Amino acid sequence: MNAKPNLPNEIFWGKEYSWRMDSKVNGWLALAAVISSLTDIIFAHTVKQWPMEARVGIVLAEFLALALWARSVTQWIRGMDELHRRIMTSVMLAAVGATFFFMLLWHCLNRAGLFDVLFGKPKAGGWDIGTVCHGFLLFVLFYGIAQAICNRRYK
Amino acid sequence: MKNKLRELRAAREWSQSDLADRLGVSRQTVNAIETEKYDPSLPLAFKVAKLFKQSIEEIFEAEG
Repeated sequence: MNAKPNLPNEIFWGKEYSWRMDSKVNGWLALAAVISSLTDIIFAHTVKQWPMEARVGIVLAEFLALALWARSVTQWIRGMDELHRRIMTSVMLAAVGATFFFMLLWHCLNRAGLFDVLFGKPKAGGWDIGTVCHGFLLFVLFYGIAQAICNRRYK
Repeated sequence: MKNKLRELRAAREWSQSDLADRLGVSRQTVNAIETEKYDPSLPLAFKVAKLFKQSIEEIFEAEG
């Protein structure tokens, strides 16, 4: 008998879902998203008045957490069998690629002034979504779509 | 790629999970190979051949 390989559905809602595995794989991503939602959205005004060193420290902490998340995802995928390793590599590439593409598209459209015309000038900040928190939400959305498509192919 | 995995497994009265445990892969992978939706890598094909004590060519047959 061999050791049980990791399964993609261990971190996807369903009967195989494992809270332990999900927190092990996505814990750092969740931490980055929490830091970002607190500093970029909820307390954005307060944080803007903090010294530059503190603000840079927050950004670096977010991206350090993202780097550690990439490491834990890589280790998790390495522990899968060959079929799931192939599926998850495609899913991750598709989700990360789509997130970058969407955020860049949104940023360019925002810079062109489209959202100010469509939704009006916001009271504070802008329509920009270039934060880790927004990236996290988009990634989760694209990950779900990509996994559903790839899983269907091998069902 | 055609294969005799399902017949070989059935002859031993193993479930897909039993075979998956013996090969160190997931049940979905065994199912994907049996339904010919996925062609195994060479190391996995060797593992299958060793488990059933047959050659790779006896279990897997290239189409065309």
